[in-house]
Amino acid sequence: MKKLGAVIAILVLAAVAAIGLASCGGGDDSSGGGGGKGGILNATYASFPDYMDPALSYTVEGWTAMAEVYLPLLTYKHANGDEGTEVIPALAKELPEISNGGKTYTLFLRPGLKYSDGTPVKASDFPFSVERMIELNSPGSTFYFSIEGAEEFAETKKGPIPGIEADDKTGEIVINLENPRGTFENELALLFVAVLPQDTPLEDMSADPAPGTGPYMITKSQPGKGWEYKRNPYWEKANGEAMPDLPAGVVDGAKITVIRNEVTQVDDVENGTFDWMQNPPPSSRYAEVKENFEGTQFRVEPTISTYYFWMNTQEPPFDDLEVRQAVNYAVDDKALERIYAGSLSGSQQILPPGMPGHEEFELYPYDLAKAKQMIKEANPSDMEITVWTDDESPNNEAGEYFNEVLTDLGFDTTLKLLSADNFSTVIGNQSTPNLDAGWFNWFQDYPHPNDFFQPLLAGESITPTFNYNHAMFDDPAVNKKITELSEEQLGPEQEEAYAELDEEIMEQAPWAPYGNRTVSTFVSDEINLDSVIFNLTMGQYLSSFEFK
Amino acid sequence: MQDGETSAERGPWSLALRRFLHNRLAVAFLGVFLLIVVFVLAAPLWADHVAETGPNQEHTVDTVTVDGEERDVVTPEGKPIGPQWFDAGGKFFLGADSRLGRDEMVRLMYGGRTSLLVGISAALIATILAVVLGLVAGYYRGWADSIIARTLDTIWSLPVFLIGLSVGIALAVGGLKIGPLELAGGSLWIPILIISIFTVPYIARPIRGEVLSLSEKEFVEAAVAQGAGPLRVMFGEILPNLASTVIVFFTLMIANAMLFEAGLSFLGAGVQPPNSSWGTMVTVGVDLLRIQPLLAIAPGFMIMLTVLSLNIVGDGLRDALDPRGKARLDAALQFEAQAASPEPGATRP
Repeated sequence: MKKLGAVIAILVLAAVAAIGLASCGGGDDSSGGGGGKGGILNATYASFPDYMDPALSYTVEGWTAMAEVYLPLLTYKHANGDEGTEVIPALAKELPEISNGGKTYTLFLRPGLKYSDGTPVKASDFPFSVERMIELNSPGSTFYFSIEGAEEFAETKKGPIPGIEADDKTGEIVINLENPRGTFENELALLFVAVLPQDTPLEDMSADPAPGTGPYMITKSQPGKGWEYKRNPYWEKANGEAMPDLPAGVVDGAKITVIRNEVTQVDDVENGTFDWMQNPPPSSRYAEVKENFEGTQFRVEPTISTYYFWMNTQEPPFDDLEVRQAVNYAVDDKALERIYAGSLSGSQQILPPGMPGHEEFELYPYDLAKAKQMIKEANPSDMEITVWTDDESPNNEAGEYFNEVLTDLGFDTTLKLLSADNFSTVIGNQSTPNLDAGWFNWFQDYPHPNDFFQPLLAGESITPTFNYNHAMFDDPAVNKKITELSEEQLGPEQEEAYAELDEEIMEQAPWAPYGNRTVSTFVSDEINLDSVIFNLTMGQYLSSFEFK
Repeated sequence: MQDGETSAERGPWSLALRRFLHNRLAVAFLGVFLLIVVFVLAAPLWADHVAETGPNQEHTVDTVTVDGEERDVVTPEGKPIGPQWFDAGGKFFLGADSRLGRDEMVRLMYGGRTSLLVGISAALIATILAVVLGLVAGYYRGWADSIIARTLDTIWSLPVFLIGLSVGIALAVGGLKIGPLELAGGSLWIPILIISIFTVPYIARPIRGEVLSLSEKEFVEAAVAQGAGPLRVMFGEILPNLASTVIVFFTLMIANAMLFEAGLSFLGAGVQPPNSSWGTMVTVGVDLLRIQPLLAIAPGFMIMLTVLSLNIVGDGLRDALDPRGKARLDAALQFEAQAASPEPGATRP
């Protein structure tokens, strides 16, 4: 039996080794920072942005990555909280002059601007950039369909768009809208219409990013793996002086590495391998990181966001209102608060707190018995459902939770977990089979309630690709209200109307919303946490990072 | 068997069994493996009568009574309850698996069923395919052998795990549809097929070698002379002589297939959530390693114990079924060792 004893000893040793291996992190080597001004920021994202092309990206990761590489005519103030929702001029000299009953916007390009490759910026680059964005079927296209001829251009792909006039000599840009649009100034500050040189190819530039006008330029991009920034040489020579409201940035550049294991990311920030992780710590480490580092390396701030489960309202079984309402009764936001480990507060409505028009209501208090009864009465013909979610924690667990809720209600479910890199692209493509229900979240593009209705719940936003109306919700009365409200300037009356619209849509239950998330900034002890600016639209600004 | 029976009077299987039973290590680990099988087969009993929950049933906002005190299965901060052993009447014996609050012990038992099912099924398919291919290649030789052997070489030369991973991820999303064969994305058959296809060469190559040798034996020539057709010769004459090799490989392949499955599932390309296998459970456990290390250790230990048992049993079977093979191997190893060490009196250059 000596042999047996030896084997038992090996077993114990192997178990110890397995524990050791499991607790080892991956991670990349660190290039380190400088100390004080300059240095290279070594940061990590959990996934590569959907696109590294400003015309196409529609994710927090993408906008955070490109906010200081590509500038639109207008932009958001570099400030935390509500102050950061103020629209300020970027490439434009001033905010637009609005005339013709809110239908004409006139702006002037600042003189002497240059792209990071030295090409001068021209006024005609703006209409080119809008046309390129629409030609690429960008998910942001519909924001600009109010420009005269833009919708027709989207169909024919034949330009130019008659509603945009640009004069390269004077720098004047005139935009004529078909109808007034209360949100258009905000939309001119989105990255979709960041100005690009006219030789930019009509294709996704993620692997070879185009030159930009911001303080940093992307020097290397490896989709799926990471990317690098350096200072834009023409910022100091030309653009920085022309745009004094925009900071030049402290660090000399940044190297971003995609590390898909969030636990490893936390370890690597703790031990200084990385200076910052863009995504929040995973739920398993959230409480520990908060307890150990809050105030010194970790900061939590509210976001204007809604997390929700969508249901395809055009296909059985969710084409039945009673089924959708039953699902709403069955989703327990208190359970999801625990799944998000305290980084989410429960809610059952579309508009999040902090967004104008938000008025709290609760149409579907958790009642599983009632939900089951409703399903029994509805007796849906199709009980086979595919549930879609991404693989980032804790969204994957939220998806698993939803899958189990539907199973509890008697559905035969299949859960599809997709990589966060392409989740949005896959579920936004209507040729993907079995898009029945799934998880999604929405962070504000701009501080206007229209941003939570038009792209996500208006019939006109249903597109073959880059579709964000995953619920395929197309109610003529709701569509009309969304359009009418978008044409008005936001005031108390409109806010009340948006609050009513929120409740009206939730009565039809295309979603089962479950909460609003906080976001965190977690940096290494080399970084000055107080200097980091988190903008509600763009995320953390690269220019605000500085080494201690 | 009667007392006093000589070895010459015993059949080869009886002798093999006797040799196997004398290998105490192999017998001990066969017992361990059988205990594991009983453990996973008892999953519904434990789930229904002790834990009173299913493997995928979530208890995020539930409480459990531990020594008369109500405790959250998952705290508001998202921390799952730890091992309760029998303090809660067997509920959450190993704790909750994640913030979804599923019973870890129940998932471990059901996950073991999945892992064993995938391992045994994949090994069985791979063995059947390998035997057929090995027989055809070794018996017919010529172009049939060339095509089969080169195909096996090609599969062998591929980075099997990386390809399995890529194929697994692609099929986990889109499923598989080839003619009438249709598999949904989350089907267990996807990892089973991936593993079995990529492991065929590991069995088919040695079997082909043995068939090449056996087909030149007198009993094969005799069968052919008596008018036996190729199918009868292959499956009636040669295959029975391959039985010991096939049994040994099959046992070892179960272990390999289980490891393959654990690796694929750990990386998200094998068994799909919410179903559990020991591989997926390690993934979930690693996420919570700091606060509940047992969640990764328990399934990891089960994988290790099962694979080790099967390997030792496989070695024992080989020694029992083919003692000359072991003697040949021992002789070869001794020869290699002698060649490597300098002879007495010899000087180094």
